[in-house]
Amino acid sequence: MPVLALFGAGRIGAIHARNIAAHPGLRLKYVVDPVTQAAERLAAAAGARVASAEQVLADVDVAGVIVASSTDTHLEHCLSAAAAGKAIFCEKPIDLDLARARAAAPALSSARLLLGFNRRFDPQFQALKAQLDAGAVGRLETLNIISHDPAPPPIEYVKVSGGLFRDMAIHDFDTARWLLGEAPTEVFAAASCLVDPAISAAGDVDTAKILLRTASGKLCLISNSRRSGYGYDQRIEAFGAGGMVRAGNVTESALSTWSEAGAAADRFQNFFLDRYADAYRLEMDHFAEVLTGAAPRVGLDDALAALHLASAAEASARSRAPVRLSEI
Amino acid sequence: MTSAAPKVALIGAGRMGAIHGRNAAANPRLDLVALVEARPDAAASLAAELGCRTATFADVLADPELAGVLIASPTSAHLDMVLAALRAGKAVFCEKPLDLELARLRDAEAELSAAAAPLYVAFNRRFDPHFQALKAKLASGAIGALETLHLISHDPAPPPPAFIPTSGGLFRDFTIHDFDMAGWLVEDMPTEVFAWAECLVDPAIAAAGDVDTARVVLRYASGQLCVISNTRRSGYGYDQRVEAYGSLGAAMAGNPRTSTVETWREAGALAAPIFASFPARYERSYRAELDHFADVLAGAAVPVTGYQASLRALILADAAGRSVSAGAPVRLERI
Repeated sequence: MPVLALFGAGRIGAIHARNIAAHPGLRLKYVVDPVTQAAERLAAAAGARVASAEQVLADVDVAGVIVASSTDTHLEHCLSAAAAGKAIFCEKPIDLDLARARAAAPALSSARLLLGFNRRFDPQFQALKAQLDAGAVGRLETLNIISHDPAPPPIEYVKVSGGLFRDMAIHDFDTARWLLGEAPTEVFAAASCLVDPAISAAGDVDTAKILLRTASGKLCLISNSRRSGYGYDQRIEAFGAGGMVRAGNVTESALSTWSEAGAAADRFQNFFLDRYADAYRLEMDHFAEVLTGAAPRVGLDDALAALHLASAAEASARSRAPVRLSEI
Repeated sequence: MTSAAPKVALIGAGRMGAIHGRNAAANPRLDLVALVEARPDAAASLAAELGCRTATFADVLADPELAGVLIASPTSAHLDMVLAALRAGKAVFCEKPLDLELARLRDAEAELSAAAAPLYVAFNRRFDPHFQALKAKLASGAIGALETLHLISHDPAPPPPAFIPTSGGLFRDFTIHDFDMAGWLVEDMPTEVFAWAECLVDPAIAAAGDVDTARVVLRYASGQLCVISNTRRSGYGYDQRVEAYGSLGAAMAGNPRTSTVETWREAGALAAPIFASFPARYERSYRAELDHFADVLAGAAVPVTGYQASLRALILADAAGRSVSAGAPVRLERI
């Protein structure tokens, strides 16, 4: 049974630890985190032990590592794991700096690297993609991706997040690439700070409308907000020559309550840990496949392309002009 | 129809003329007595259906019995007819757009503003009950402060290729409604317009110099953002939705369906289709805007949309066109 080590005992690390524990073909041996208490707590819960990065990489039993540490350490963990010959499952984004990520690319090009763009593993979006692939609506022409968080993250997180485009929209950039089946060549982003002035004070934005255009003229809209006020709004509308395919929000139950005031559906699943629970589990299943020789379905090129789009969108929002990807 | 109802004439027996004519004939607060149409067959046939006489535009203007005119002629004739009718003291109901040329519209501003008779320009979506209900939610504070707005406006199928060269192009002909909706819901004028447009539906549209697919982003001084999504061909009906995102939540106006029937089978649940065309989808709004015009004729209301709304919508359409040509956002001066 392949043995794994987990870098990062935070919120997303805990999800991955739980999914490894629940997976019949994987075993978690180590948890690595500079916050010793967090590492110990998660290791105890997962039946693993706390170790240093050096110990993990030197252990020949370890077949793969999960990189779920803080974003600024993703790249260095990926590089050292690749050098040690370990398979890598890295959380998004691979790095916050495009030049740094590109410089590291040669050292990672032969690594077995799975990038954690979890939406590609979401059953709702996979069903949508399957309809597109089956030609249910003809040739895809335009795409609207709605991706609104329920509430903004703590301001301390905002400061180190890399900004809305690299931290949040990066998922949508990957989804857009995945569904468009064609690389965007141009980006326009209009962004505002409407939710919390503290986000603006930290140099970031909290609301954005991003347009992508491909060489063949396909158009994609991405709508982002750090605070919806009604839950985690994750929808896709794909418009083709023969109709539309839409993936709506997942509600906590199928219940609806009808009264004089109207018909109330149940609330949307509140945030990503719930909404994408299946996706996290399925991407860990896929990592198990990668460990036994399958090619990662999302890899280094996807990581770089999404970061490229995020950097271009940020440049566009700053310059208030469209940006060609070839310029970034 | 009562004898007390004000007498009105209809100009134009085309598609919109027939809609307004039938609604006017059925409205007890209006007395439709005359139809002006240059094509004799079309004039005779619609006049017979509506139970009114045919007339020339000059006859209509000279008839002191007539209180108002409904102008549904080709767009290129709108402005001249509006000005002539206002000079003759008639209250005017004019199909959108008032004109396709910003300069021409501005040239007419002084006269239009000074006219003693009222002018209503038919931005019918403001009278759609679904959008009115959404507007009421915004006004009641149900979703807090409006932050961003999505207007999805997709036609079921492109118009005949012959219409395209006279249409004024996608932004002036089609998006003009969405520009007015943005003005109505955001209650502000954007400071910046950005548009990307493509011809993805039919190469004949590109050959006629137009586009058929667009995304438009409007930015306001407040930081509010609005996105308009347009296509000339949806492939699934007339897709007309509004999504308003506020500080406390969102208000969504979806597509009404042709029936409430759902058919459930092994393959899944099939809901009835959405409406296939604007006359069916906006039927209630067309009737409601004639009621509004009856109120205007009775002196009980001032037109909700007239020259100013037309100007604002056309400024945005013009800016969107310039943005596409320039490949850059267009900044707007305060009007």
